Formats: sequence, structure tokens, C-alpha cells
Amino acid sequence: MILEFLLIPLIVTFLAPLMRPKLSTVVSAISFLIPFFYVIYGLAENIVVKQHVISLVKPIGEFYILGDQISFSFALAICLVSAMVALYSLPYMAHRFDEMGREFESEYRKYIFFYDLYATSMLWLVFSGNFIMLYIFLEISLLASFLLIYMYGYGDRRKVATLYFIWTHIAGMLALIGFLLVASNNGSLAFNSIAKIGFTAWLLIFLGMIVKLPGLGPHVWLPWAHAEAPTPVSALLSPLTVGLGAYVILRAYLISPWFIKKYMMPIFIYGVISSVYAGFMVFRQNDYKRLLAFSTISQMGYCLIAFCLGTYGIMAVIIQYISHAFGKAILFMTAGGIIANYHGLRDITKMGGMHEYVPTISNAALIGFMNLGGILTVGMFGEFFILKGLVDTFGFDISTILAVVFVFIISGLYSFYTFKRIYCGKPAGYEKVKVNRLLDTPLFVIGVISILFIFPPLANILLNAVKTGVIKAAILTIGGVAP
Amino acid sequence: MMVLLLSALVSLILIVFGAVCSLKDLRLSLAASILALIIVLVSSITTQLFPYVLLVVAIGILTVFSMSIRENQISGVDYSLVALIALITAYIAYTNDISFILAAFVIASVPTYALVFVSTDGAKPHVDVALKYIVFMVLATVLFIIGTLFLAYSNSSGNTMLYTLGFVMLILGLGMEVGCAPMHEWVPDVFSAADPLPLSVVASITKIVPFVAAYKIILLTALPQLSKLTIFVAFIAVISMFTGNIGALTAKETGRILAYSTVANMGYVIATLAIVTSKNYLYLAFAGALLQLIVNAFGKASFFASIKTNGCSRPLMYLLALSFIGLPPLMGFWSKFFILTSLVGAGLIWLAFLLIVNSAISIPYYLRIARNLAGETFPGKVTAIALISSVAMLITVLPPNWFVSLAKAFFGGV
Repeated sequence: MILEFLLIPLIVTFLAPLMRPKLSTVVSAISFLIPFFYVIYGLAENIVVKQHVISLVKPIGEFYILGDQISFSFALAICLVSAMVALYSLPYMAHRFDEMGREFESEYRKYIFFYDLYATSMLWLVFSGNFIMLYIFLEISLLASFLLIYMYGYGDRRKVATLYFIWTHIAGMLALIGFLLVASNNGSLAFNSIAKIGFTAWLLIFLGMIVKLPGLGPHVWLPWAHAEAPTPVSALLSPLTVGLGAYVILRAYLISPWFIKKYMMPIFIYGVISSVYAGFMVFRQNDYKRLLAFSTISQMGYCLIAFCLGTYGIMAVIIQYISHAFGKAILFMTAGGIIANYHGLRDITKMGGMHEYVPTISNAALIGFMNLGGILTVGMFGEFFILKGLVDTFGFDISTILAVVFVFIISGLYSFYTFKRIYCGKPAGYEKVKVNRLLDTPLFVIGVISILFIFPPLANILLNAVKTGVIKAAILTIGGVAP
Repeated sequence: MMVLLLSALVSLILIVFGAVCSLKDLRLSLAASILALIIVLVSSITTQLFPYVLLVVAIGILTVFSMSIRENQISGVDYSLVALIALITAYIAYTNDISFILAAFVIASVPTYALVFVSTDGAKPHVDVALKYIVFMVLATVLFIIGTLFLAYSNSSGNTMLYTLGFVMLILGLGMEVGCAPMHEWVPDVFSAADPLPLSVVASITKIVPFVAAYKIILLTALPQLSKLTIFVAFIAVISMFTGNIGALTAKETGRILAYSTVANMGYVIATLAIVTSKNYLYLAFAGALLQLIVNAFGKASFFASIKTNGCSRPLMYLLALSFIGLPPLMGFWSKFFILTSLVGAGLIWLAFLLIVNSAISIPYYLRIARNLAGETFPGKVTAIALISSVAMLITVLPPNWFVSLAKAFFGGV
């Protein structure tokens, strides 16, 4: 059953380039919305599916599709954001091709192919039941996103794309050696037949994913790549792709959690420092997209913190991924909306009172920043679970609580400080424009859904499913530390 | 076996016939060469090694075609020479006889001596380059053959000193033949100065036989001493990878970049010889090595042919470059993946690490090759060659289990 739903976007990937731009956009969006509804159904019914794909030679093992609550939760964000950004691409890329002086229709065919390939590979990644299968989709998503930046990016796009490629390729390859070590110790890489992940393997997987995530230090590639990518690609890169690093660590954690448990304190401190550092960097940025890129690093610090906090922490990682995906997708699209309407305007110092000129985009941005700050959106649960996990893990330890609350406060502060800088204050004196419907409606769809997730029935569905999924995995591997 | 022998004979006759026909009509000799290769293919259809022969014949026909893009001094004969190399590359898979393996080694190498001389469009033959090439090749062949004799002799007499000497000579000869650093001196000069069309043969299909021969000889003559010697191969592999990749990164002309990229690729391949003593991972290692050689053959044949026509279709060039970089699900990924899996499995994690570092270094220059060669023009024959190569890169979209079983079939009797 699940295979058919996953095949829809894959088939559309190859059919879309044959259609006219408008049709291909709509078809692509629908091809991601169909799995989206299936995913909600899967979460509501708490189903777990396993479907065999192919068996490989000895140390690699079986490739199968694994649909459990964790996969479904990640897929929820991927499907919705991919569908909405696909709609958004049509007017935005029209503007971009125009700016680059290229012919619209033929370029759009190429664009939609790589876009669909990129989004589909991420969707398949979270349903992979084998580390090598997972790695393959990780690399396909890297390839597609690299080509999109290479062909349509801003600035020195070739250099930036190569920088991005090299860093994330190293990240993937490091993890690959880790996977192969696991393979030679366990004789298989299928999730259900790995007994233990040894120290070196864990270290390599963790380091690789820290580059991808990214933590402080190996984050140098991210502001470049995310800022210079064409905006619809940024709106997938930043919300979806980087978080997949957390997904890989999560899968390894659910199989063999000892590494993170043993090195809990250093990882926790590293997460806090990453988050705080990137949060302060946000205040210094004057480029809208670069600012959002730094905010991504800060938000991914949350995931690192949450990993250390036991079962509730793991739930927080999942919710944080979803809320960050929703929020950051909206925000990148608002940045793109301003770029498309004001001829590449990205410099925040030249903005001010933009609410006057693009009220719809401004309202969407508010919802986006609310998502980042964890206010009245699904992000709220993420922060709640982090705090709950924190108290469970460390007891009522005032220093750790202060550290985490400080991290939350910085996120809230930079969110609304940025909102104030861009959308409020003295109007900067632009013409009011009529915004293309596809440049703002998708933002509101994501925004409304992110708010709907704090109310029943969606909130119940999501939280129950995440809880069941994590606890089930916890009982299977950790051995009964469930709450 | 009878069928194979018979068809080999028929193919050889056809190849000679083709060479003679070149005096009359070039089309006839082209047809004869291709027909000879097809007979090779058909004769192997029932054997386990059929996929390998199919790939080799495909590369053979591609390289014959690339020779036919422009006429040269020995047009017609060159088709036959290339077909001869392809024929021996296909048949070496079936033998475990050391004398035949050595003969194959020589047959695969000697025709290139003549090919390196040729030039097109009435230019002077590349005598300087060709002489340099021939000197190195003769030296390599001598080292390889004497090394093999030492190995074979010490295997029966049990003389470990002689065995060590033989192994080192064999590896040095192999390295010089295919262009592993530090014996790679001839590669950059020849690859940047000779005509690109014969290079699409020299850089691609001729690399397969030396490795298969070395694998077979080492396994046939193995002594317990071998496990101590493999570290020597690992060092050569590392030197070769770094020399190749750093050289390619800093080179300017496309031909020179491709030369260094060959040195690096040969480093990846020779790395697998370092774990030839590991029983569990030998097949995976050999599958990786063979697949990497095939990727290299398809890719280099297309790239060199494209240099000749100053460019080729953009998507094809990028696809081939990405396959060289090693992105799934292209063939170049699976070759590197098999190599890495076997290295990690056999305990050479440090070597796997260095391979990965190198694979990252290689990204910029492969992209540069693709950018240099991508053009808006679509020269017919070159595009066909690149298209077939690209299709070959895509046949591994489904994980190639079959290739590992193929690698097992290679050593049926060893």
C-alpha cells in the first residue's frame, strides 16, 4: 500500500518535465498532497508498515520500506512543504529566469524535474529501512539540490554550489564509513537486524550528521548555500534537508542509544553553544536570506539539545523538525516574495515598514516567526517536550534550565526583532505591488496547518502517534525507560 | 569451451580481414571489426560471464566508433587493433592459465603502441610522445612478465625472498602500465600531447586487462607471505590517489585533468589489491575494482571523444562527471561503494578514509571537465558515444547484485 503512495511523486518526477509549466506545477503539488493525506491517515490509525523492496549481498542486507510513526511524522512536514513550495515555484522561477535572461518554458522543465527529484528523494529517505538505502537517497537529494543551486543560484553560484557539494558529500561519506563498519560488525544494515552500533561507527555517523545538521564549527557552508540558492530551493534546503541529519541520528539512536547517553553532557553543551552563537549571529545579519540561514543553525541546536533528554527529548526532536520546517519554509518564501516583487531586494537595511507594501506576506511572516519562537503553533509542543525532558533527565537543575530557557528567549527575541526591522517601523518608500496569488497563498496554507496542529483533533493525532512511535522504539531497544 | 575457442578464431580472422580491407573500403573494415565483437558476444551468451562480456563489447564498439570520428594515417587498421584489444579483454575472463594471461596482457598493450602515433587531419604523427609511451610500456611489460615468472617459480619452490621480489615487480609493472603514481610519469604528457581519439582507447579499455591479469596471477600463485606484502599496494594506492587528484585539481587543460583523473582512478582500483588476502571480501573488492574500471572506460572514452569535437551535449557530460564523482544511483557510486565496503570490512579503515577525502577533492575538477566540454553543438557520433556511456551509467539504478555474483564467477577455478 505504502509503496504505491511513494511511487506517485517518483513517477510524476519523470512525467512533469513533459508537461506545460502550469500543469506540471499543479501535478507536482498534487503528487505530494496525496501522500500527505495518507500520512495523516497513517498517523491517525497508528499503522506500522514494512514492505520488502530488494535483497542485497551479504553485508548490506535487505532494502525495505519502513513506515512507522516517526517516518510518518517527518513525512508530514516533507509532503506539505514540498507541495506548497512547488506551487510557489511557478511565479518565483518565472521571475528568476527573467532576471537571468533565460527562456521560461524550457528552463522550467529542467527546474521542475530536479525540484521533484529533490523533494521525492527526501520523502523516500524517511521511509528507508536500511542505512544504505537511506544514504542513497541522502546523496540523490544532495545531487538535485546541488544542481539547482549550480544552475539557478544567486551570486557566485557555481562556487557556492561546489562548496555545498563538498561539505555535504564529506558528511555523507563519513556517515557511509560508519554504516559500513556497522555492516561488517552486524552482517546487515537493515534497521531490524542491527544489534549494536560500535563506538567508531557511532562517532563517524554523528560527526557526518553534525556537518549536515549543522553544528557550530562545520556550519560554514550553510549560510552561503542557503542564502545563494534560488528561494524555492532554500525553502526546501533549510526546513527539510538539514533536519534529515537529525533524522539519521534519531534512527541510529533508536537502534543503539548508548553513544548519546554516554556523551550526553558534551552534546548538550555543544547544542546550547551552537544555538546561542547562531542566535546572536542572526542579530548581525543584514541579508534577509542569510539571516534565516543562521536562524536554521540556531534551531538545529534545539535538536541536538533534545537528543540528550531521553524519551521526551526524542519526541521533541520530531516536533521540532515539523515546526521548524513549517516556520522556515514560510519565512524563506516571504523573503522570496519580497525578492520577486522588488527586483532582488534582500538587504534589510533598505527595508522597513514593508507591511505597508506587502501586507499578506508580512502576515505570513508573522506566523513564520511565531513558529520559530514556539508561540501558538506546533513549535509550542516542541519547547514543552524539551523542558519536560530536561526536568526528567537532570531533575530540577537550575543551570541547565536557565541555559535552555536562554536559548528559547534568544529565538523569540531575534524572531520579533527581525520582524520589527523588516515589516514595522518607518516605511522605506516603495510602490505598493499586487502580489501574485501563488506567492502568498501557499504560505498561509502552511501557516494555518501549523496552527491547526495545536488544536484537536490534529494535535491529538500527532502527539499520540509520536508518543506511541517513540515509546515502542524505546521498549524495543532501550529497554523500558518509557514514561 | 569449444564454442568460445571457435568463435575466437572466427573473430580473429574477421579482424585481420578487416585490417586488409582498409586498403579498399573503410566501411568494410569497420563492419568487420564490429561483427567480430558481436560474435564474441554471441558466443558467450550462455556463460555466467555474459554481463561482463556485454559491457566490454559495448566499450569496444564505442572505442571503435570513436576512432572512426576522423580519418588518420592507419584508418581501418586501427579499428582492427581496437577490436583486438576488446576481444582479448573479453576472453581473459575465461582463463586461469598463466601463459595465456601473460599473452593477453601483451596483446592488450601492444596495439596501443601504434595507436599513439597517429594524428588526424594531415598533421604530423606524434613521434616524441609515442616514443615516450612505448619506452614506458615496454618497461612495464617486462617488469610484469618477469614478476609473474618469479611468482610462479617461487610458488612451486617456496622461496619467499623471490616471491617478495616477484610481487613487487608485478605491482610496479602493473602500476607503470596503467599509470599509478609514482610510476605515472608518462600519463600527463601523453594524455595532453597525443591525439584525443586514440587516447579514448588508451585511457579506457586497455586498463581492464592488466588488473584482471594481476588479480588472477596473484591469486593463482598466492603464498602465505602475501598477507604481509599487501601493505605495499595500499601505499601505492594512497600515493596514486593523492597525486592524481591534486594534480587534476591544479591542471588547466582538459586533457591533463583527465590524465590525472586516470591516475587517481587507478589508485582506487589498485587499493582493492590490498585486501586480496581477505576471503570474505575478495569478491566484493574485485567487483568494485572491475566496476570502477568499466566506469572509467565508458567515461574516458566519451570525454576524450568530446575533446576532439570541442564539446558535446551538456546533460550527458554532467551525468558522466557525476558518475565519476560517485553519486548514487549511477554506476560510479556502486563501484566506490563496493570498494569502500570491502576495505572497511577487511579492516583497512584508514584507507577507506583517504579514499573518501580524495573523492571530495575530486568534485571540483570533474565539474570543471563537464563545464569545459559541455557545448551547444551536437556532433552526431560523439553524442551517440556519450549517450551510450550515460545509459550504461544508469543501468545500476537498481542495486547491482548481479555484478557481485559476476565477480565470483570470474574466479571459478582459482
